[in-house]
Amino acid sequence: MQEEKDFIQTLLDPKTQNQAFQQLLLEYQKPLYNHIRNIVLNHEDADDVLQNTFIKVFQYLNTFKGESKLFSWVYRIATNEALTFLKQKAKKSGISSETLQNNTIDNLKADVYFDGNEIQIKLQRAIATLPQKQQLVFRMKYFEELKYEEISEILGTTVGALKASYHHAVKKIEAFVTVN
Amino acid sequence: MKAFKLENEPKIESGLKTPEHYFEDFSSKVMQRLPKQKPKVIPIFQKRKITIMMVAAVLVITLMVPFLINLATKSKELDENTLENYLAYQSNMNQYDLISELDSDDINKIKTPIELEDETIEDFLTTNPNLEHLISE
Repeated sequence: MQEEKDFIQTLLDPKTQNQAFQQLLLEYQKPLYNHIRNIVLNHEDADDVLQNTFIKVFQYLNTFKGESKLFSWVYRIATNEALTFLKQKAKKSGISSETLQNNTIDNLKADVYFDGNEIQIKLQRAIATLPQKQQLVFRMKYFEELKYEEISEILGTTVGALKASYHHAVKKIEAFVTVN
Repeated sequence: MKAFKLENEPKIESGLKTPEHYFEDFSSKVMQRLPKQKPKVIPIFQKRKITIMMVAAVLVITLMVPFLINLATKSKELDENTLENYLAYQSNMNQYDLISELDSDDINKIKTPIELEDETIEDFLTTNPNLEHLISE
């Protein structure tokens, strides 16, 4: 904890800021990319959102009070950026978020950065039928293998509620895959 | 139909792949995009305050102009005493120079009838040490 406080201090100090931020970038770029990619699905979109996430993190460093962990604060920004991006993309295309998500899944087969077969596509289609919060919980738990405590800090939901949410998500996905 | 159970299946990967070498130059790409200096946030009311103060300052200066001009004009006027003292003690002018500056109008103006009583003339003549010189002239 003290180590994190010291690191935050180096991030806030103009003399050490650039070096510390580069360290933060190297530490978080891969897990954050996976987190964002799992939400937006497309690599180009994930790249845009990831860059914007880090720029926002840099811009709002001064407002980080240290009440939550740096990890959960950065993940929260990334999640919000990804969800906002999808909403704006759907709005620009004049379609609903659900339609946009289904279209993106349809395009996955042709995506050079997708290496999956029928079961992966089916799983994505099943996830797309879930409410947004359940989608997030399922992706973070199943694909990213984050702990409930970590997801709880990022999404600001109790561990109990998250477990219930994940349980419901799994049941719905299983039902969808069985029928389809 | 066999019911699908997620926990009975081997872990299904997302299948989402990252392009090769993507992370190699990612950090430098972001570092280049970082804002160099954070823009200073000036609250809108402060901007308005500055504008109001500027307008007030211009108004005050505009209103002061006639007073300043008046003050400058007044300061150039010399009162009679100052002029007299200057001519008497500071300048190189003598009475002949002064007389040469007078025209006939000025002479008429200073021509005032002086009524002297005999006693006054007598007192003057007795107290004046150059009496003899005056008489001889």
